[in-house]
Amino acid sequence: MSLFLASFGFGLVTSAVLAIAAVGFTMQFAVTDVLNLAYGAVMIASAFVAYAVNQAGVNVWIGMLAAAAAGAVGSVLLNQGIYTPFQRRGSAPITMVIVSLGMTLIIEFGLQAIVGGTNVSYTMGQGPTVKAGGLILTAVQFVIIGLAVVVMGGVHVLLRYTKLGKAMRATAANRSLARNCGIRTDRIVTTTWALTGALCGIAGTVLAINDGSFGATSADLFLVVILAAVFLGGPGQAYGAMVGAVVIGLATEISAAYITPSYKDVIAFAVLLIMMAVRPGGLLGVTA
Amino acid sequence: MLTTRRIRRPERPGLGAPGPKPGGARRAIALAAAVLAAAGLAACSSSSSSSSSPSSGTSSSSGAALVVADLAPFSGPDAALGPTYLVSCDGATAAINSAGGVLGHKLSCKGVDTRGDPADAVPATRQMFATTSNLALVIGCTSDEAASVVPIMNANKMVSFCMTGQSEFDSVHFPYFFRLVPPDLEESYAMVAIAQQLGYHKIALAFGNDIGSQTFIAPAISSISKAGLSLVANETLNLQASTFRTEADKIVAAHPDVIFTEALGATDATFLSEVKQLNGGKMIPVIGTSADISPDWYKSVAAAIGASTLATSFHADNLVTETSGPAYSPFQAAIMSEQGKVGSTGDFSTYLTAPGAVHLYDGINLAALAMVEAKSTVPSVYAPYILTIGDGTSGAEVVYSYAQGIAALKAGKAIRYEGPGGPTSFDSFHDSTGIFQIDAYSATGAVNVTGNISADQLRAVS
Repeated sequence: MSLFLASFGFGLVTSAVLAIAAVGFTMQFAVTDVLNLAYGAVMIASAFVAYAVNQAGVNVWIGMLAAAAAGAVGSVLLNQGIYTPFQRRGSAPITMVIVSLGMTLIIEFGLQAIVGGTNVSYTMGQGPTVKAGGLILTAVQFVIIGLAVVVMGGVHVLLRYTKLGKAMRATAANRSLARNCGIRTDRIVTTTWALTGALCGIAGTVLAINDGSFGATSADLFLVVILAAVFLGGPGQAYGAMVGAVVIGLATEISAAYITPSYKDVIAFAVLLIMMAVRPGGLLGVTA
Repeated sequence: MLTTRRIRRPERPGLGAPGPKPGGARRAIALAAAVLAAAGLAACSSSSSSSSSPSSGTSSSSGAALVVADLAPFSGPDAALGPTYLVSCDGATAAINSAGGVLGHKLSCKGVDTRGDPADAVPATRQMFATTSNLALVIGCTSDEAASVVPIMNANKMVSFCMTGQSEFDSVHFPYFFRLVPPDLEESYAMVAIAQQLGYHKIALAFGNDIGSQTFIAPAISSISKAGLSLVANETLNLQASTFRTEADKIVAAHPDVIFTEALGATDATFLSEVKQLNGGKMIPVIGTSADISPDWYKSVAAAIGASTLATSFHADNLVTETSGPAYSPFQAAIMSEQGKVGSTGDFSTYLTAPGAVHLYDGINLAALAMVEAKSTVPSVYAPYILTIGDGTSGAEVVYSYAQGIAALKAGKAIRYEGPGGPTSFDSFHDSTGIFQIDAYSATGAVNVTGNISADQLRAVS
């Protein structure tokens, strides 16, 4: 029981980090129509911005705001400078995927050339450790879980109750119809890149805090797990990504406790494959 | 006027809103491709070929620079290894060039990125041979890639000084392969001997899932048993993963006295910080391998668990290296001349005890002196002279640097080179193993020698 509770706690933290990243990723995909595989690279680049701020003596949580800003600006520039020109030329979705994969390598290795191969850590304490039964979590991990809840709540409010959120949903559902209804879809797309880029920056910082140590390529495997959560929930489904993140986060950590940690990423994809076989559109997606 | 052309896209529900049926075949294909591409990206784990310098070759044209290739990981989890070796290469070749070069040639260093993966290392090695016309020596070749690249280098008759401890090189003869570091199994025995010496009984293993780290496990398990100690946990750390809480929790729950580890990249830093966290903020003592004696490892782990914690809870085995004397002074000058030329790596003086820096410096000097002795820069010609100069002949004058060596050779004397890694004694497989010492970090990151392991101690657990 104590092993289960411990792994359940670890799963909650993993789910929290994953949820922030996956929701940003899936919103970006739904509205902009770009499956941006450079998302993980932007996450880590943003985490390094927070690191630079942190090394200047500033609290890492404030550094996270700088990372969010960097993620927003970086994502908008990525779209305006790279993706939009390709889309204007009518590039096929598979071409866009390859372009984003190329951008991943460019960003990662460009970053590695600047920061080097050494891994770094934020200067911060973990706070007191709370033990309850087998559950062991630090204060910082509680903050991460709380942050994820706030972000999920914020996304829900944005999508359901704001004009911008409704415009984003309309653009995601049918861009030409949304434009015909008077929605300035280009502006919505740019705003979406900024908002999801900010989420990307927050996710990168939280990932780096959670990992304790990170380098230029630390998000490589995590990107695959993000994709698993997104696909599990249904691509383009913000709420699906939240559910997918919880399922993947808990499944990987709990299975690691009972099988072997070496298989935890295998478990994530086994869950995904089973789900896609049973329900191809994902948990909250529309079935064929 | 520029008009925006939009891709016609199928209608679909977005962001959780109800709506019509999603996607089409095109999207499905793109998504599937994306997953495959991302999975491939993760598997490749980031890599780029970092090369710095000009071409050269296996037979040198007069006066052209000879190239020493640093064939090692410059990206991926073991990305810190290549740059460490390059510091040694740049320092050693600069000292050689200052002493007049080799037979009228200057030396330069070139980084060749293996990404720490045999699948990438093989084409990188082939490309190195295809594009480097004055290649005279290869250094690096870690356990990540040695098994796949050494046969290629041997087929190309290229001398290599490798940083691999893999046991297959203990008994297979490669005429152009040389090794100044101990087999991994001896390092495993040394770790067990350190545990015995420090009074630890219950041992947990936590090694990375890379080839280089996995080779320690089997000999460590057998040595632990032979020493009468108990193995309480054995966890493999996936170097691509971002957290290791479950592994750390299992190890903490096993209540070991000490953890043996080698997991490079961010892994040890993350893993050890999680061990500390799950152990109520108290660190379990750690014994690392000689690969953990490096500025990059220190910097990342000290930042993750605290420099003072690392200083009080960490030991590592390392080959005995000079810390003073006639061989140390020129070595120190050569390495420290590189300070400020590489990225921020914490305490630069850690390079003075890093096995890669010490033994590759010696390897480059041995090769350069062998070229002079052989009067040829062709590897197949000068290779036998490495043994002559390393082991020495009767009456040979001991020299401690390239400059001393070349002066003695010009005076017509036979020489034996003895560098900061101590005297060499090559066996028939071109392995030269020294004796071990116990290293620890100070709170400022300097490396201190805290003890030695005698040959008897090592034999008792092997």
